[in-house]
Order: sequence, then C-alpha cells, then structure tokens
Amino acid sequence: MSRLRVSALTLFVAVLSLAQTASQLTTPGIRRVGERLACLCGACKNTVANCPMLECHYAKPAKEKIAQMQSIGATDENVIARFIKDDGLKALSSPPAEGFNLLSWVMPFVALLAGLGAVFAWIRHYRKPAPAMAELPPELLDQYRSRAEKETAGFDE
Amino acid sequence: MENLGALCILLAFCFGCYSIVGSLVGVWRAKPYLVLSSQRAVYAVWALLTTASGLLVYGLLAGDFRLAYVAAHSNKSMPGLYKFAAWWGGQEGSLLLWAWILSTYAAVVVFTNRNRFHRMMPFVTATLMVTQVFFLILIAFVVSPFQVLAVGRGITEVPDGNGLNPLLQYWTMAIHPPMLYLGYVGFSVPFAFALGSLITRQPGDAWIHTTRRWTIVTWMFQTCGILLGAGWAYAVLGWGGYWGWDPVENASLLPWITATAFLHSVMMQEKKGMMKIWNIVLIASTFFLCIFGTMLTRSGIVSSVHAFAQSPIGNYFLVFLALGIALTLYLILDRLDYLKSESRLENVLSRESSFLFNNLILLASCFSVLWGTLFPVISEYVTGEKVSVDAPFFNRVNIPIGLFLLLLTGVGPLIAWRRSSVDSLKRAFLAPTIAMLALIGGLMAAGIFHFYALVSLGLCVFVAWTVAAEFWKGAAAIRAKDGLSLLPAMVELTHRNTRRYGGYLVHMGIVFMFIGFSGAAFNKDSTVEVNIGSAFRIGSYDLTVRDLKEGENENYIWHHARVEVRKAGELIGTLEPERRLYKSSKQPTSEVSIRRRLNEDLYLNFAGTSNDGSKAVIQAYVFPLVSWIWVGFLVVLIGTWVCLVPSKIKMQFARTEVVGVVSERHVPVKS
Repeated sequence: MSRLRVSALTLFVAVLSLAQTASQLTTPGIRRVGERLACLCGACKNTVANCPMLECHYAKPAKEKIAQMQSIGATDENVIARFIKDDGLKALSSPPAEGFNLLSWVMPFVALLAGLGAVFAWIRHYRKPAPAMAELPPELLDQYRSRAEKETAGFDE
Repeated sequence: MENLGALCILLAFCFGCYSIVGSLVGVWRAKPYLVLSSQRAVYAVWALLTTASGLLVYGLLAGDFRLAYVAAHSNKSMPGLYKFAAWWGGQEGSLLLWAWILSTYAAVVVFTNRNRFHRMMPFVTATLMVTQVFFLILIAFVVSPFQVLAVGRGITEVPDGNGLNPLLQYWTMAIHPPMLYLGYVGFSVPFAFALGSLITRQPGDAWIHTTRRWTIVTWMFQTCGILLGAGWAYAVLGWGGYWGWDPVENASLLPWITATAFLHSVMMQEKKGMMKIWNIVLIASTFFLCIFGTMLTRSGIVSSVHAFAQSPIGNYFLVFLALGIALTLYLILDRLDYLKSESRLENVLSRESSFLFNNLILLASCFSVLWGTLFPVISEYVTGEKVSVDAPFFNRVNIPIGLFLLLLTGVGPLIAWRRSSVDSLKRAFLAPTIAMLALIGGLMAAGIFHFYALVSLGLCVFVAWTVAAEFWKGAAAIRAKDGLSLLPAMVELTHRNTRRYGGYLVHMGIVFMFIGFSGAAFNKDSTVEVNIGSAFRIGSYDLTVRDLKEGENENYIWHHARVEVRKAGELIGTLEPERRLYKSSKQPTSEVSIRRRLNEDLYLNFAGTSNDGSKAVIQAYVFPLVSWIWVGFLVVLIGTWVCLVPSKIKMQFARTEVVGVVSERHVPVKS
C-alpha cells in the first residue's frame, strides 16, 4: 500500500512537472531557492532564479526540481542539500562559508584591512612633524601669510 | 595570399627582434644610428602588420574559405559589417588585431618622440617591441590566422563558412571589441615610459607628463569598451544583463580599476612629488592585468560565455607575465633611492590622504574581483572540488566597497590639499549631508526600505551636491569678477582648469551610473503564455500581443511578436521582440525590444510559441532607472574629453619649502 502511495505521488509530481508552464516556474518560492543555486549551463554566470534563458538546459529542469520538491513539502535547506548531493558544491551560486571556501569571503576584507594598515603605516612614515610655528617671529609669519595670500589670490587650486 | 600574410607576420617578428636588440645594443655601445634604425624598424613592423591585417580582412570580405579562420568565422550570407568584424571574432584574428594596434601605438610613440628623451626612448621602444614580439610569436608560430584548410587534408574547395557566432552578430560587435583592445593595448605605452624612466633614472616626472594624455585617452577607450559591452549584454538576451560578473567581463574591469587608481595617485606625484613607487606599481599592474585579461579570455582557465576556444597559448602568457613581473619588480627594488618621495604628508585631513584612501578602496575592489574570478580555480586546486562564484558573491562583496568609493568621490573634492580643519570640513559637509538624509527620509516615507538602494541613492545626492557646489562656487566667483551669466561662467571656470572640472564631470557621470545600478533593487519580471489578442500586466503596463509574424532572409529565419503597450488605458507604443534562427549555425537568438525611458525600461523578449502555436511566450521585465547608466557613460565621456582640452591657465607647483611654512607657489601662465 505504502509503495503504491509513493508510486502514485511520484506519478502525480511527474504529471505536475510536465504541465508546468514557464510562468509557473517563477513563483516566489522557486525564485528564493533559485537565487542560492548557480545555473550550471556553462554559458552564463546567473543563478537558477534569474537565468533569462527560458529553455536553459540547466535552469529549467532545476526550477522544475525545486517546484517538485516544494510541492511535497521540502524546505529550502532540503532542496539545496539535494542539489549539492547531485551536483556537488558548485551547485551553489556562492561558495559556502566553511572550510577552505571561507577564504573566498574573508580574503577581500583581509586585503582591505591590510591595505588600511599599509596606508596608516605610510601616513605615519611620511607625515611631516608639525612645523615649529612658535619659533617664528610673528612679523615674519605675517609677512609670509600676506605674501602667500597675494600670490594665490584668484586661484582656487 | 596566405603565404604573403604569413610572410608579413614572420618579417614583422624579425623586425621586432631587430628593434629590441638594436635599441639596447645602440644604447650600450653608444651607437645613435643603430638606435635610429631600431626605431625605424618599428615603422616596418607597423607596415607589415597593416598588410597582414589587410589581407585577412580581404579574405573575410571576399569569402576565401580556404583559410581556416575565414571558414570558421564568416560565411557568404553575413552582412559586410560582420564580415569585417569577424577580424576580431576569433582567437587568431583578435591576436592579429592586438598586434596591429600595438604596432600602430608604437609607431605613433616613436614618431611623436623622435626628437625627445634620447636616453629613455630606446628603452621605451624595446619595451614596446618585447610585447610586440610576444604577440607575433603567438600569431606566427602558435595560432596563425593564415592557416589553410586544404593543407594535408585533401580539401580542395570549401563552399561556405560557419559564420560568426549569432550572438556576436549585433552592431556593437563592430566597436566594442576594438575599443577594449585600444584600451588594453594602450596601457603598454605608459608602462613602457615608466620602465624606460626607471631604467635610465630619468630626473623629474617626464614619463608622467608625457603619458598623461595617453593614459587618459586609453582609460577612455577602456571605459567605452566596458560600457559598450554592458549595453550589448543588456540588449541581447543570453549574456546575463548589463553586468554578469563573468570572468571575461571581470578581466576588462581589473585594469580599468588600477588605471583609475593611477589617474588619481599620479596627481600626488605631479603636485607633491610623492607616491613615485606606487605609481610605477600601479601602471605596471595595469599593464600586466591587461595581459592577464587577454590570457583569461583565451586559455580556458575559467569558463566564460565570452571566451575564445581553448588553446595552448595560456602557457606562453604565463611565461611572459612571470618574466615581465620579475623584471619590473627587480627594477623597482634596485632603484628605490631614485623613487624617494620629495615631500611629506602635512596632515591626515588633507586631499593627499583622500587620494590614498581612494587608491586603497579601488585596489581592494580590484583584489576582490580578481579573487572571486580565480577562486573556483584555486578552490579546485586545493580541495579537489569545484565551486561556483557567481553574481551573488560579487554583489555581496563589491557593493559595500563600491558604495564606500562613491562616498570618497564626494568627500575628496571637499578636502583641501595639504591640510583641512575640522571646522571647514563640518561647513563643507553640512549641506550635502542634509540633502542626503532628506532624500533617504523621503524614500523611506515613500515605502522604500531596500538598504543598499537607500544608501546608494543617498550617496548619489551627496556626491552630486558636492560636485555641483564646486561648479557653483567657482562660477559665482567668476560672475562676480567678470559679470558673466551662469553658464558662460561655468564654461570659463572649466576652461581655466579643464583637468579638475573635467574630473568632476567624470565623477558626476559615475553618480549617474550608480543611480542606474541602484534601480536593480526594484527590477520586476514576469513570464507569461498569452493568447493572441489577450493582455497581461507588468508594473504599470498592460501588454497585448496583437499578432505573430515570421519570415526569413539569407542569414536567418525570424519570428516576431507585435505587442501593444498601454499605460492607464492609453496606447503608448508597440514593441516587437524577435526570435531568430541562424541558418548556417542552426543557433537561435533573441532580439529583445526595449522601451527606454529615464524612469524605467520596459524590456520584452519573445521566447517562442506554445506547442499548438496559439499562444506566445513573452518574458517581460521592468528595469527602473537603468537608462541612467548610459547617461552616466555619456557624461563620463564628456568629462574625459574636457580633461584632454588644455587649460587656459596652467598651474605650476613648485615643490620648495621655507622654514616652518610650506610654500606652494601657484604661478599663472597664459597659454
């Protein structure tokens, strides 16, 4: 009885998938999961959700698979796990943030921080000590200031 | 014909080698006539490559299908424009184009500097010719464009060719690749001057002054190439939208980013004599990223819809890159004394610091794009399992970096050279910050809560305000002094310092582009199967499929849908998306139909008909604000042209100091 029920359910899902039109494959649920999956057609770098090829040999069956699994109550994580099982980690549109692949996420920001450190080190190294203004006689300072103002008058650079 | 073409390439290779040896030996043995003859060899290389290119183009136009390249990339039914564009449609032809453009640039450089830089020019020539010879090795010995199909295969007649890939048969094909090549190849020239300057320990910043315009023009070509490609990818369904973070798209972006950083940091060297090492590193990085990008397209290292067929030339590129980078690093390390800064940073709150941060952010974004592009290869090498790094990764990493860069675009102009006080910054930031917060508040009140869109649009207002304020303040001063009205005052202001105000226009163009990018947060799409005469709705549009038509021409069979577009019941236009099947390749393509407006684009694709032919399958998209990207492109172009116009008043920046107070004399010189 149980086997019969499973067979009937499988047949029902198969019929559903055959009947699915393009518009039925763009539901919010399919789109949400499809965003996390890479289109592995080999031509584009889109996700399953936004691959614009209506008859894409990867994205279309992938959407159908998502629809099938969702129709029998699979959660998003179940669907993703199934894709990883079938196609490996490359099924994901972004590398998982674990193990060696964590580096893919971390490195850009590590580089940014390292660059920031380098900039501050450069500033420290090349920063000129504050001029000893107090040691200049005020009349000399005024003279320089008025000369500078005269010479730079009319220029905004 | 094929023999003559191959001979030209071989002779060009010989002349290129002669030019390298002649330049170096001429300097070493102090033989000026040998140096002169080596420079004339550059003209010979150009003449020979022009002949070879002419022969290949003739073969393509005349349909000489004995040539493997012509048979693979052209056919009789293709329009003349695409037959010509097939020159760069394949691996061999595009490498010939690379070599020809480089030879043209080299000839122009040698001619325009024939009486200047006698010490440096032989090394400039040698550097250019080393690059030239590398590409000539590829097209002479590895992937010849003049290979004949019949050789050794018993083929006596080839009636027709395969034709150009249908996705490439679009008008942009005629200009997008050449623009990119003009950009890629053009960076060889400032790099050659930088290397020549380094080798000869040239005093001053001669290489920077000489190549400033060259770098700007090359940057402009690269910008045009990238944005024309984006426009093409947007208008031809299948490329994945205007930017898909495809490895080959990324490869064109990388040198553009480093070149942008160079164009900013070079001002520090011109005005303050600082960052000399950094500028050499930046221009060298730009050049090597151009070579790397060319390799990425052709080696099969990463898979891409844009890539040429896999070929063995990747290893040649790796050797060239390794040797080139090693030599450049050696020269920099050996000449650190010569590259010492002439002055010091006076204050952290200064324009100099803002340039440093600008460079940092640009380089961080360059690294993240490079890292994401290569990570699948690295991951597979280390873990043995391939991963995908697609648009979601790049968006998550690069959007925050891009927004920070946008912020710096607005902050930079508000900070003075040498030092700024906190009070003056407060005054300068107040108005643009209020404008930014007001816009964000207004958008939130209108029900928009997309975080990145809010931040991006807010920053756009902030930057636009600062740029406009710069024009306004300057123009107001001129109006007060000369009594001009606002527009002529702005023109006068720009003419007085074209580089500065042209740069501001470029920043404004970038702001417009960010407005366009922000619109992506609100994209809508719908795919429907609809009966003829029936209507469906997307956004505020009601679309009715009126009829379906089909026909054919020599090249392809077409099938198009006529769709009426209504808004609030009023007919506002008709769109006719088309589907084509190319006869020779049997490959279908989609010609989308777009109603472009500044607020949003309505974008329709006719995906086909239902099995019984009674229904049309239409993919409809609404892309808000996307047209601002193309508006921004035009403004960037105008700004770049303005930068190239000589300023009416030239500023000279003496780098002298007096006790206690820095003296930076501005000496006006009427040109």
